Amino acid sequence: MSSPVAVRRRGAERAAWFLILPFCLLFLVFTAWPVVQSLFMSFTDTRNRDLRTPFAVEFVGLENFLKAFADPIFRTAAVNTAYFVLVGVPLTLAIALAAAVVLDKGINRFRAFFRLGFYTPVITSIVAVAVVWRFLLQDEFGLINTVLGWVGIDGPNWLGDPDWSMPALILMAAWRNFGTAMIIFLAGLQAVPASLHEAASIDGAGAFSRFRHITLPLLRPTILFVSVTTAIGYLQFFEEPYVMTNGGPLNSTISASMYAYRQFGFGNYGYASAMSYLIFVVIAVVTALQFRLLRERG
Amino acid sequence: MVRKTAKSLAGLSALVLVLAACGRGDDQAGGQSAADISQGPATGTITVWAMGAEGEKLPALAKEFEDANSGVDVQVTAIPWDAAHNKFTSAITAGQAPDAAMVGSTWMGEFAGMNALDPTPSSIDKGAFFDGAQRTTEVDGTSYGIPWYVETRLIYYRKDLAKTAGYETPPKDWAGLKDMAKAMQTKAGAKFGIGLQAGGTGSWQSLLPFAWSNGAQLTKDNGGAYNFDSPEMKETLEYYGSYFSEGIADKEAPAQPTTEPDFVSGRVPMFISGPWMMSAVEKLGGEGFKDKYDVMPMPTKKTSSSFVGGSNFVVFKETKNRDSAWKFVKWLTEAKTQVKWYQQSTDLPSVKSAWQDPALTADTKLAPFGKQLDTAQSPPTFATWEQAITALDTEVEKVARSGADPAGALKAAQSSADSIGTGK
Repeated sequence: MSSPVAVRRRGAERAAWFLILPFCLLFLVFTAWPVVQSLFMSFTDTRNRDLRTPFAVEFVGLENFLKAFADPIFRTAAVNTAYFVLVGVPLTLAIALAAAVVLDKGINRFRAFFRLGFYTPVITSIVAVAVVWRFLLQDEFGLINTVLGWVGIDGPNWLGDPDWSMPALILMAAWRNFGTAMIIFLAGLQAVPASLHEAASIDGAGAFSRFRHITLPLLRPTILFVSVTTAIGYLQFFEEPYVMTNGGPLNSTISASMYAYRQFGFGNYGYASAMSYLIFVVIAVVTALQFRLLRERG
Repeated sequence: MVRKTAKSLAGLSALVLVLAACGRGDDQAGGQSAADISQGPATGTITVWAMGAEGEKLPALAKEFEDANSGVDVQVTAIPWDAAHNKFTSAITAGQAPDAAMVGSTWMGEFAGMNALDPTPSSIDKGAFFDGAQRTTEVDGTSYGIPWYVETRLIYYRKDLAKTAGYETPPKDWAGLKDMAKAMQTKAGAKFGIGLQAGGTGSWQSLLPFAWSNGAQLTKDNGGAYNFDSPEMKETLEYYGSYFSEGIADKEAPAQPTTEPDFVSGRVPMFISGPWMMSAVEKLGGEGFKDKYDVMPMPTKKTSSSFVGGSNFVVFKETKNRDSAWKFVKWLTEAKTQVKWYQQSTDLPSVKSAWQDPALTADTKLAPFGKQLDTAQSPPTFATWEQAITALDTEVEKVARSGADPAGALKAAQSSADSIGTGK
């Protein structure tokens, strides 16, 4: 005989399942199944066939994967993506942490204003952002080069010069994404007990050494979380080059996911799926590495 | 981010599944003969897709067709250009294509290859169109659809600055054009003599007019393979690349060029483009700018040829209202309709006889476009054209921006095109 409490709990459980059912269905149909489907596709050649006979497929084994390794453009794209992640992630985190510290301690007035201002780029449409940044980065009349000109620096042709196109996109990506990391850092900072800081100041620790020895260690889980999510986002580097440079000049900004997308557009679904899975594997490896490096040691 | 890719993947896989269940009849394409269309007015509902400005302006034109055929309802859906290609391929895959649609002329091979298009009925006179435009509708000898409107590229130049540079009349050949571009820099204060695309998406559209003028053939083995590394192409790319290496054209031109303001300010007083640029530069240049510039045909090497582009109109094979769809398309090819459409959209008529209309003959800058159309050529209708040309664009970029060797660049583009194949 079940107690009234257990009955109520079972009823609640049933209601919960019912409520998440729509999500589960949508997830299965539009996320889980395509993931399986594209894994299947990555072992097939989808070119030169009538797409309306989806089961008449030609299995090619690992050919698509081997082709990706041999494809000079995919290699360029992989190097570009690595460049973007290796420079972009630390830069974004540094800006986010600095902004969070300033907002947490430095500014008392207008805090809400700055928090809003720093976060706005995150939720702004990339296309609107691209239009504005294209003006800012413009070679001769752009604001950035104009300001550089005031201090005697002859600014580069950001989007036209293959050496500067990637730094320009990293700058833009960092500006656009640091808000998310900042909000999480802020929450982390506010969780640091004030008493520790007080005790340390009584012992004569300066602001920097308190930050170094109290704040940073306590922020470790936050840093792990933020660096993992930012790195995953940056490994999927797509929107910035897609709207700003279309991968150019000279393929200097083409990214792995953008190249996969382009091949998908050409109807090479098998090849695109194989590249997407390669990106997935890299993301998994990078995430595992980050956990290993940044996990709290017990 | 990849999310977008994942989403399209998801959508497509779902579509593929749905389709598998439908099991459509699969008659093979190639050398197809077309059934004719019935007599009498069009009836029923026709769904039509069109892109960009055409998508916005077509409903007004379709209204006139509805007025002439009381039983018909034309439903136009406007589609943004950016999304159009993917939307079409997934709709075809899913069996959800509209009855009729405007399609880019370089997509014909791909869509016909997917066995999605209905061959053009014999009652539509294929000789009425400009030859180069008509060829964009033909895949393996069968015509699918009609050329709806055309565009071709000419060289825009600042007449006033040309005069300062010592040119009363424009040059006619390759050497002359380059001299004029240089003179624009040295004598007329231009920063760059001519605006040429330094690679990137679509730069083939500025290169190929020169190539065709040099007699280049883009296919070999009776249309069985791409032919990018011919001696004619090499000569063309050397000539094209020299504009950049000699500083006459901007090798660091951004992906989004500022053609119109540069032209109006005289910074770059020449560029190659289509007829839509006339209203664009006149709007920016303001009062009187109309008299400050003119257009000239592509300079001659062996001949003077340009690119014929534009859009075609097709009827999809699976349409449920085939006859009415074709009646609508046929109506679009009537000279009267074409002139009306020109007046509404400034899209140039693909039907030769429409060019006799005073609406077109009155504009002196328009006539050279009509003349250039007589010799203008179109790229081959291979299903893999867009893909092969992306490789060529990249190689052109290497030549223009970093001074790579044209012969090596074309060899690379050729080997890339060979590995992609023609899609047959």
